[in-house]
Amino acid sequence: MTQRKQFEEIVERFVELKDTSELMINLAYSALLLNNRDLAEEVQKLEEHVDRLHTDFELLALSSDFKKEEARGFLGLIRLGVAAEKIADAAAEMAEVVLRGIEPHPVLRLTIREAEETVMHAEVTGASPLANKTLKEAQIPEKTGMRVLAIRRGGKCIRPKPESKIEAGDTLIASGYSEGEGDLRRMAAPP
Amino acid sequence: MSHFEKIKYKLIPVSELLLEMKNLSELMIDLAYSAALFNDRDLAEDVIELEKRVDNLAYQLEMTIMVAARDPKDAEALTGISKVASDADKISDAAADIAAIVMQNIGVHPIVSEIFEKVEERLVKAKVAAASELVGKRLCELDLASQMGMDIIAIRRDKDWIIDIKEGEQIREGDTLIARGTSTGIKEFKELVEGVQLKAEE
Repeated sequence: MTQRKQFEEIVERFVELKDTSELMINLAYSALLLNNRDLAEEVQKLEEHVDRLHTDFELLALSSDFKKEEARGFLGLIRLGVAAEKIADAAAEMAEVVLRGIEPHPVLRLTIREAEETVMHAEVTGASPLANKTLKEAQIPEKTGMRVLAIRRGGKCIRPKPESKIEAGDTLIASGYSEGEGDLRRMAAPP
Repeated sequence: MSHFEKIKYKLIPVSELLLEMKNLSELMIDLAYSAALFNDRDLAEDVIELEKRVDNLAYQLEMTIMVAARDPKDAEALTGISKVASDADKISDAAADIAAIVMQNIGVHPIVSEIFEKVEERLVKAKVAAASELVGKRLCELDLASQMGMDIIAIRRDKDWIIDIKEGEQIREGDTLIARGTSTGIKEFKELVEGVQLKAEE
């Protein structure tokens, strides 16, 4: 394998590690705000996933053939991974507050986001206008007032980016005011 | 040895302290990754500075919570906040660890930056020049997102960091704008902010 290819693979793992840890922070804050156990459990599951990802990433980085003078550059990479893992840990600890049944203090609502009342899961069917659109094209916040927190695809949880494509069979995890819930549900699975 | 500021109790609402910790820690992650991946010492220094600020906030918040708890019920309700604050602090520590990669001249392998440039947007800092047409404009009047794909995520004004930027916020001369975008947008953005006359150059 060329060095470039090896690097591409390592970077790909790292991007997933970074994205997942940041997704976890968002989900953890929402879990706290809504006192939602499902979301908090999702964060815990992601934490286990991050642990596996991190190990894979480190093994991949350490097993690639690099020259002595490249050691610093590899150390930098390894440290980036460690930091991403630390971020994921912090998110998991936040979610733990919910799982321990500590009632959310009203201050949290003031702090986090006022526009969140509810969290929902909606499966996207093949007939949905959302299928095969990117999040940017789908305009979910504009049309329903709901904010997509994560996209669940198979066993994976994807951090939503404007260019992320929605596929039939995906489950959207979204939050917002309760009025938007029905709208998004109808959009995801038209009757 | 680094200098540690003495912390005195101040009457600041817990919600304000926590909001600032949350916002700063999230900004720091973005700044830190960009600093490390694109070997930007300037951004790394900002992260280190912000980390001290978050530490101070964490002390303030802890004191405020202690003063607020009057009975076991209060204590139970406030524990959650204390926990969340300490986690936000951990996140900012992680960001400082990332910035340290740059500050300690370890660096990240150059091929990584090259690959990253293609998949991720990066952050840029630019200081508003007197000659810039942005001076005096409100944020909502600008449409940098559709014009050049740039998003302003923070403004540094003297010692203050404005993170929760209001639509009506006016840009002043001397502000440092922190924005996110692709490499082509970044070039255009810098020229606009730093008041470089495009036409004069041509």
